[in-house]
Amino acid sequence: MDFYLGLAQVIGVHTLLGLSAYCVLLTGQVSLAQAAFFAVGAYVAAILTVIFKWHLFAALGVSAVVSGLTACAVGFPALRVKGLMLVVATLAFGEAVRLFFFNFTYQIQAGELKIGPHGAEGFRQIRYFPEHGWSTFDVLVFIWLMVAMVMACLWWLDQSRAGAVMRAVGEDEVAAHSSGINVTAVKVSAMTIGGVIAGIGGGIFAHYTTHIEHVQFGVILATFAIAYPILGGLSNVFGTLLAVIFIQGFLIEGLRFLGDWRNLLFGALIVLAMNLRPRGFLDSGGVASLKRMLFARKESSGA
Amino acid sequence: MLDLQGIAKHFGGVHAVDGVDLTVKRGEILGLIGPNGSGKSTIVNLVSGLFPLTSGRILFDGDDISDLPSHARVGLGIARTFQNIRLFGQLSVWQNLWVAQNSRLQRQEIFFKRWFGGSAGVQAEIERTLEFFDLAHKRDELAANLSFGEQRRLEFARAISARPSLLLLDEPAAGMNAEEVDQLDARIRKMRDDGFTVLLIEHHVELVMSVADRIAVLNFGRKIAEGSPAAVQDDVAVREAYLGTR
Amino acid sequence: MDLLDLIDAVQSVADGVLFGSTYALLGIGFTLIFGVMHKINLSYAAASIGAAYGSLLLLSGFTAAPAIVVFMAAALCGGVIGALVYFIGFKFIPVANPLATLMSTVGLLLLIDEIIVHTTEGVPLAYPALYSDVVVRFGQFMLRGDLMFVFVLGCACMVLFLLLLYRTRLGIATRAVSQQPIASQLCGISILQVNVLTFVVTGMLGGIAGAMSGAAIGMLSPLLAQPLTVKGLIVTVIGGLGSIPGAIIAGLIVGGLESLFQFLRGVTERDLYIMMLLFAFLVFRPGGIFAKASGRD
Repeated sequence: MDFYLGLAQVIGVHTLLGLSAYCVLLTGQVSLAQAAFFAVGAYVAAILTVIFKWHLFAALGVSAVVSGLTACAVGFPALRVKGLMLVVATLAFGEAVRLFFFNFTYQIQAGELKIGPHGAEGFRQIRYFPEHGWSTFDVLVFIWLMVAMVMACLWWLDQSRAGAVMRAVGEDEVAAHSSGINVTAVKVSAMTIGGVIAGIGGGIFAHYTTHIEHVQFGVILATFAIAYPILGGLSNVFGTLLAVIFIQGFLIEGLRFLGDWRNLLFGALIVLAMNLRPRGFLDSGGVASLKRMLFARKESSGA
Repeated sequence: MLDLQGIAKHFGGVHAVDGVDLTVKRGEILGLIGPNGSGKSTIVNLVSGLFPLTSGRILFDGDDISDLPSHARVGLGIARTFQNIRLFGQLSVWQNLWVAQNSRLQRQEIFFKRWFGGSAGVQAEIERTLEFFDLAHKRDELAANLSFGEQRRLEFARAISARPSLLLLDEPAAGMNAEEVDQLDARIRKMRDDGFTVLLIEHHVELVMSVADRIAVLNFGRKIAEGSPAAVQDDVAVREAYLGTR
Repeated sequence: MDLLDLIDAVQSVADGVLFGSTYALLGIGFTLIFGVMHKINLSYAAASIGAAYGSLLLLSGFTAAPAIVVFMAAALCGGVIGALVYFIGFKFIPVANPLATLMSTVGLLLLIDEIIVHTTEGVPLAYPALYSDVVVRFGQFMLRGDLMFVFVLGCACMVLFLLLLYRTRLGIATRAVSQQPIASQLCGISILQVNVLTFVVTGMLGGIAGAMSGAAIGMLSPLLAQPLTVKGLIVTVIGGLGSIPGAIIAGLIVGGLESLFQFLRGVTERDLYIMMLLFAFLVFRPGGIFAKASGRD
């Protein structure tokens, strides 16, 4: 049972990561830096609870703000870089952040132990949850409450004019600019919001894994971050959620019996998926057919 | 209302616009014609702010807007259409107009309402625009799925949505049949009657001659003639530009 | 820094530039795919390493194969893998959807990585180095024979490639397609042929680059794919996306600087400075060394 609880935790946190990329992707920016904001959130939150003994919620709040500010700082130079070059630039930024944490040491003495991030070894003993009596189930509920909140906010954003404006910028910047939209403000805002979401996700991640190190926040995590919304479809937030459930749940855990072969399957499946459904699983066409299926059933049962 | 003073735009060695003085009076329809490559579209791009000026000044209602970014110019009241339609294909017709509402009417609303809420006033405004352009029945259709004529109308409608005082139309009649051109003619006149000022770039000479109050002619980036439609038609320089010399 | 240190510094730069020809080839590959298809092939470096592994596989029966044959085998494998990558990852995805193509190349990267790990069970393999026992000395400096060979090979490939691009029909067709795909078709150029051949040629270059990396380091490991991908992309951006001379020069520069940073500050901080170099370029010269001249758009 604990295994499934743990899996649900992973799915929840990865959904936050995916949603942070989703937000940025709406405006047409392909960012491989979300894992970096995730890392910043993780280290900041962990340092606050472990070294400064803060309450978790306050620590998460600060980590969200710090990640958001980092993202905002990245957002401005990102404007100068067009299209696919942004992929490379954000990839390099992500690597730079990872290298920073690889070299980052900040330890204090706590009794017999030294606690705090220790360069390549990472940050061990992030024991907020056990020390404060949170069970695995408690943590799970907390994670999914946060996920639900973020999804609700993004869903509401999508229905509002802000959402339409973001998608307009993503579609055609020139047209958006000529229609009176301040493209700079929209793109930087999207990047910032993405950073905030990633920061929250990272902060939670640090606490339930209790041990973070630079390797976890590398290129692979960055590609997973954009894989979720791209595979899930950009038309609404549920696509990302579905993609996370599918990849983490079904592929990585469910196919465990395939042993080493499932990694092979993963890459091949992505390639296949992109060939068959380039717009993702829940794109506007997918949503339309889903609606038809659901409503058709309603009609036939009522008739 | 719009004053172009000695504007020029060079792309490397190509002088797309080479020192043009032009004035558009409030409430008039000024037609801008000229052979291909004469710089007409470049002028629209310069006025709307897509290209920076190489030299010269652009004054709008007396204010120098030469260094303002595009979206700010829309806020001041200058809107444009694109010759090759640039709609937001994955947004619905209604959404295409909704995102373009960001100007005078909306700026009166507070930040939160403008971005996240939606007042009845804005909704009504969009409905009216949809009615005028005969697109109300397609309000939830994705812009990419519209027919070519409908897309053209939506492009026009989106420019109007910004509540501009000056409208830059970049070859709106391109690809239209005679009936559609007549409808366009009527719509442009209605615009003028409603108080809009229009700068019309066109190849369709009949349309321009019919609807414009004054016409300016460009060739090789320079203005070679200006005046009433009749005067321009008789102008020798204009004839030479279009037909060549004997 | 006294004279001895200075000599050591110059020595490391020289070594770095020699190795930089590897980065130059990878940069050419990335930049050419971008130039012709306007897409980034994130799996390119992994495919290059894969081709190097492939060459070992092909010649596994011949224990005493001369190293030059191994390199040619790598080129051959690279070409084949390149064509496969095109058909699986690019051909059937709509042109207007760069996100999907990006994702599929990510999938290919993971796939190739996993295939390598599977077939070798994660054990690094030794790779033949040529002239590794040759050392040329100039007073205090010495140039390693194996690095020099790698450099000369790299330069030879670049020259051949440039000849191909600028002096053959295929080269002209490629350049035409990169500028105007539809008009090219109307001129009788088959886009399919050009695309496939582009992938095959870059695949061959990549295979040689993979072999060069293996030869310079002495062994192959799947772990090489990630840093080569990042460095290759950085070189591409610094050189200017779509610019081949830029990729060449940037490759040599990055190679030299990487070695210098390592000499000055050690391996752990070396890559951080390369990133900073990239960011400096992005801020001050986002178009790269050879930024394309701005057109009407």
